[in-house]
Amino acid sequence: MAAQPNPDNPAGSSDLVQGTLEMLILKTLALEAMHGYGVALRIEQISKGVFRVNAGSLLPALSRMERAGHVKTEWRATESNRRAKYYQLTAKGRRALAFETEQWQRQIAAIARILEA
Amino acid sequence: MSWLNSLVAGIRSLFSRHRIERELDEELDLFQEQAAEHHERTGMTPEEARRAARVAVGSRNSVKQKVWASRWESVVDNLCKDARLGSRSLLRTPGFTAIAVMSLALGIGANTAIFTLLNAVMLRPLPVEEPRQLVLFGDGSWVGSMDGMPNRNWRLFSYPFYRAFSAQTHAFSGVTAVSSIQMGGHLAASGGAPEQVHIDVVSGSYFSVLGVPPALGRTIDEADDRTAGAGAVAVASYAWFERHFGGNPAALGATIHVQGHNYTIVGVAEPGFAGLDPSSPADMWIPLSMEKEISPGWNGLEDKDFQSLYLVGRLKPGVTTALATTSTNLLFRQIIRGEYLGDHPSEHDLAQLEKANIELTSAAGGLPGLRLKLSTPIFVLMGIVVLVLLIACVNIANMLLARGVARSREIAVRQALGATRARIMAQLLTESTLLALGGAAFGVLVAWGSGRLLAAYLSHGVNEQIPEYLAPDVRVLVFTVAVTGFTALLFGMLPAVRAARLELTPVLKEGRGGSQANARGAVSRGLIVGQIAISILLLVAAGIFLRSLVNLNRVNLGFEPKHAMVFGLDEQGANLPVDSRLTQLHQEIERSVQALPGVEAASFSMFTFNEGEWSDSVMMEGVPRTPQNDSDVHYNVVGSQYLKTFGIPLVSGRNFSDQDTANSPHVALVNETMARTFFPNGSPIGHHFCLCDGSAAHSQTGPFDIEIVGVVRDAHYEGVGEHQHMAAYFPYAQHAQYFYNFVVRSNVSPAALLPAVRRVFAQANPQVLVSTVVPLTEMVDDSIQTQRLIGLLSAFFAALAVFLVAIGVYGLISYSVARRTSEMGIRVALGAPARALVWLVVRESLVLLAAGLAVGLPVALLTAQSLSQFLKAILFEVTAMDPMAFALAVAVACVMTLCAAFLPARRAASVNPVDALRCE
Repeated sequence: MAAQPNPDNPAGSSDLVQGTLEMLILKTLALEAMHGYGVALRIEQISKGVFRVNAGSLLPALSRMERAGHVKTEWRATESNRRAKYYQLTAKGRRALAFETEQWQRQIAAIARILEA
Repeated sequence: MSWLNSLVAGIRSLFSRHRIERELDEELDLFQEQAAEHHERTGMTPEEARRAARVAVGSRNSVKQKVWASRWESVVDNLCKDARLGSRSLLRTPGFTAIAVMSLALGIGANTAIFTLLNAVMLRPLPVEEPRQLVLFGDGSWVGSMDGMPNRNWRLFSYPFYRAFSAQTHAFSGVTAVSSIQMGGHLAASGGAPEQVHIDVVSGSYFSVLGVPPALGRTIDEADDRTAGAGAVAVASYAWFERHFGGNPAALGATIHVQGHNYTIVGVAEPGFAGLDPSSPADMWIPLSMEKEISPGWNGLEDKDFQSLYLVGRLKPGVTTALATTSTNLLFRQIIRGEYLGDHPSEHDLAQLEKANIELTSAAGGLPGLRLKLSTPIFVLMGIVVLVLLIACVNIANMLLARGVARSREIAVRQALGATRARIMAQLLTESTLLALGGAAFGVLVAWGSGRLLAAYLSHGVNEQIPEYLAPDVRVLVFTVAVTGFTALLFGMLPAVRAARLELTPVLKEGRGGSQANARGAVSRGLIVGQIAISILLLVAAGIFLRSLVNLNRVNLGFEPKHAMVFGLDEQGANLPVDSRLTQLHQEIERSVQALPGVEAASFSMFTFNEGEWSDSVMMEGVPRTPQNDSDVHYNVVGSQYLKTFGIPLVSGRNFSDQDTANSPHVALVNETMARTFFPNGSPIGHHFCLCDGSAAHSQTGPFDIEIVGVVRDAHYEGVGEHQHMAAYFPYAQHAQYFYNFVVRSNVSPAALLPAVRRVFAQANPQVLVSTVVPLTEMVDDSIQTQRLIGLLSAFFAALAVFLVAIGVYGLISYSVARRTSEMGIRVALGAPARALVWLVVRESLVLLAAGLAVGLPVALLTAQSLSQFLKAILFEVTAMDPMAFALAVAVACVMTLCAAFLPARRAASVNPVDALRCE
């Protein structure tokens, strides 16, 4: 599921490559457990605003991943002392991240070779 | 394992939908808040920040929907919602729902009922070990005993043949023999009142070959079947054991008294097993070593010519039926040549043997008795009910189409609000499935009620007991579920596809769906034409079966069944020698019963009607053998009052008299057919014949010891539909025997006469039991029970079909009249007479009828033609191509169409132009 381009910043943002959103979320959560907006913000910041993920794509993706057992959830307080649902990577999620990263790099390398040929 | 987790999580979330909703709201709130805070930190005004945050979240409902849709339980949830929505919308139109559910209930119920029969009679395997390995020698179509060597397929076998064969065969792991006639005796157990039992007489290998273990005690084994008369043991069926002993194991060792002999109960068979013939469940098994004691004096254990057994073999694993057939026939020839024909077989016998063979048929479902009798009627009924269900489906499809038009706005609105076509189709199909399920629920009730009735009807005359076998099983369940699903798709698919293919804008703009309505008209018309065509098929079927039934009822039986009643006897207990002493007893009883008030005549009779036959060819002194007089003569042994009791007139000569005794010359009465066949130009009275075999092997100069003393009118003997046979009657004074039938002609009712007759018998000999009394008319009726059932059911279903089609035609025509109201108004305004308007409407229905006939008649003709051979067995003096039946079908279809068009036509004729034009 691709993220929608941000209408406020049409030049700076870009569509996510099909099927990569879950990999990016896994990567983001690999460092620490986060709540929904935290994930969205981190993806936006690290991609320097190229990818913006809105709630309509993020939450269904997280729901799917929870069902697949890649993340588990927990309600706890934020820094500002709000109750929030935190998503945390499971062992299975880590294996999925490793697998997807490897797949992705193989594909990128292959695409690069084709483009350079 | 992850699917299991997902399953658990999904089910849990289905039940905590509210909490999940709340949590999602909370998560979205936080998302939006934090987005706003973040935007504010990057320098937006609070107002701008909030707006940007709202954009980032998007439509809350759509996010929630997406999250929900990402999980499998959403499908279940949708289904539930659709079901709720569907049932609500169905309840809003109770009339439509009631008609749809009712016609489906009849359709599905009839299908389930007939399939239950089909399953029981044709599909269900015997409850034995590996039933597929069992094969029957021959096709089981003969019952009784026969002698001589048939020069065709063998179906009955002698005990010595069974012994020789089972000792030498390599193709079978075991062979068992069972008497083709089930013994029905009266049994007295430990002093109790006598009761009727059904006994299968079986070889010692029976239970081991079938693989039926005992539930209690032991089964019959080879030791019981070794010495004639030495195996006085019985194995009870579990059902009988429960019924009679209440499941008390003390039954083992109990002594029972059947036909004057004592047997010890040594075991009870496994529950569910009731012998090889599901239609005649056995209460008890007794070894063949007791054949002489249990049967009416048969003694076939040593007699190679007494062939009365069915043989059933169990194929060795890996042996195919084809291989076994070859091996069986080799061994069969070897045995017959070696042990039957002697050292110097005649040319004739060798030629006969050349034509003889054994055909193996599968016995996985038991003996094919019921299958042979009922498979054609059941297939016919199955075909009929499938067509009825089809008509019901088409009708509902048509009503759903009409509903679809009425609901096109609702559907357009739902599409506009974002429902996908798939969702809308799913929703409409759910509605259809709900209808089908409702129909199935009532249908199962219908099947339950009618199935037992049907079974009682169909198996009447085969056996009075309804087989427990008829209980529905998994196969019936699967069938019903499949039929239900199939019907839902059949009538629901077309309307659903059409509804989902809706063009949005015109519908929403127009509100009345004009273009849709036209399209609906074409499809509906097509469906109605199809319905009329199918109803023609059903009407023709009903026509030929009813005509056949009428013909059967018109048959002149040659005797007068009214006021005659048949008493069932068990005389074996009398223990009298079969000679003049028995004859005296019978004569005494006849005289006493004739003296009873209201009794006109009374006679013992070997056969009455539809009870089987005893027949063979005869040799007439001085008449050369011709192909005509070589055919079988049906014999009967009767008392001197038989003709009067049966109402058969004596044409010439004299009746039996007291002067015909065991010591006087033997006499016989013959029927007109026999007289004509042997003496086309003269009287047969005074001529002599013998019951000797006329084949080339025997001399032409037998002792012609029977004198013909009289000729009687032809009368039916085996059944209503039989061809007229030659028949000869012998006086029992010269053929002493035990009887099973005692016939009385009287105007007193059978129930009132029974105690008096019982008293007479008890006075004459208390050991002779009178068990039943049946009016002869009932026996005649029972003999055509199957034909009557098919006739009545096909007529009922044809009537139902006509009713459904009439509803369909009525619906379509009234719809079209309603749509053309304004046109009619204009026509009236321009001066068209009412007649013209009526014609306008009637013409529309006639076009439908013509198209229906154009499709239906050729289809019906082709079907009748291709089935005529198949249907021959159950039709009497009418062919499947009966022109009368076709003419009747067309006539009924015309009347039906015109009746259906009548009301709408009248409505059209009374259109008021002002109203019609104003409403536009």
